[in-house]
Amino acid sequence: MRKFVFFGGKGGVGKTTLSSAYALKCARAGLETLVVSTDPAHSTSDVFDQEFGNDPREVEGVENLSAMEVDPDSEVERHLMETKRALNNQVSPAMVNEIDRQIEMAHQTPGAYESALMDRFIEVMKSSEAFDRVVFDTSPTGGTLRLLSLPDLLEGWIDRLAHKREKSIDLYEKAAIGNNEPRRVMDGDPILARLRGRKERFEFAGETLRGSSTFFLVVNPDELSLRETRRAADDLESYGLTVGGLAVNRLTPEPEPHEEGRGARFLRNRVETERARLRELRESFDYPVVAEIATRVSEVKGDFLEEVAAELDIDATAERPA
Amino acid sequence: MTLADRIGDYRAALEEWLRGFYHGLISHPAYEKIEQEAEDQEDAFMLACFPEAFGIPSPVSYYTAELLPYLEDEFEAWERRMWDRGSLLERKGHQYHF
Repeated sequence: MRKFVFFGGKGGVGKTTLSSAYALKCARAGLETLVVSTDPAHSTSDVFDQEFGNDPREVEGVENLSAMEVDPDSEVERHLMETKRALNNQVSPAMVNEIDRQIEMAHQTPGAYESALMDRFIEVMKSSEAFDRVVFDTSPTGGTLRLLSLPDLLEGWIDRLAHKREKSIDLYEKAAIGNNEPRRVMDGDPILARLRGRKERFEFAGETLRGSSTFFLVVNPDELSLRETRRAADDLESYGLTVGGLAVNRLTPEPEPHEEGRGARFLRNRVETERARLRELRESFDYPVVAEIATRVSEVKGDFLEEVAAELDIDATAERPA
Repeated sequence: MTLADRIGDYRAALEEWLRGFYHGLISHPAYEKIEQEAEDQEDAFMLACFPEAFGIPSPVSYYTAELLPYLEDEFEAWERRMWDRGSLLERKGHQYHF
């Protein structure tokens, strides 16, 4: 299994449960594991009954397991503060207000949240030497897929920006033939340096997502979830990402054969339709079904989590570097 | 002052005049053109970086915002050029020395 494992799927299908269970399984197998929640509605804390923050923290009572919950708001805030600090160091007081407004505006655009999340993603992947396995509990399908398509998109964009900048500096240098000092010089241009730094980070993210990450889609045995899973799988493939399998969650338990009555009939019917969906899942998807988890009566916590972990048929060994 | 010196002075003055004449006629407009082209490129760069200044959302404005502290001069000049459409036209006209 690759180092970075992502769990995705429609809202409410049980991504947090399965990713926590898988992380637990990895930790039990002796891998130093980190589980990262990127869903703004964090529930990792609830599963483990502990508070987690923006940085990895060891899960109490479980060896080899750490957890963190990404908080994009504080990331945006941090980025804003950092930029403003640079502003005050660089810019003459007369211009500060002018530029300050622009910076504030950039941090309120709809993309800021996603960008911050992406930044944090890259940061986590970059600084994960201490861990053998990093499990991402992602936000519902749409958001995550958009996020994962970002590195490619942004790389191209930043590339074009850098190209424009290079061209204008080149022209300034040409215009300053003779004794004149060119208005901008290519060497040590802070703008180009920053753009290139950004590009490298996006490249790293793209490579890591394509080369050392596997995605598992959590699906419930119902029509909507199936459809969304198909779309998600197609999208992931089109980004060149590896889908490892489908984890089916919330299967209805079958009543005992001797049981009759309204409840039992209902359950039997339900199980029947779910079987049809399961067949569809197995036949029309190219991915293996790696887990069939039945609905639990109570919240999945503690011992239940262990049970779910045992039912997960996802390899928990680290990929040996070739 | 010997004749040779006077001829030398004369030649130096003439040379300076000629260089100035050439500069004004040929090289200065050329440099100016290149520089203006550079400015135009820079405007395009700034617009690509900060389109939300004109109400156009950009997927990278979060990242380009961190460039702003290093773009003081460019930003000021750019804003002036962009907001003042009259001068933008006039600027284009400048490129042609009638």
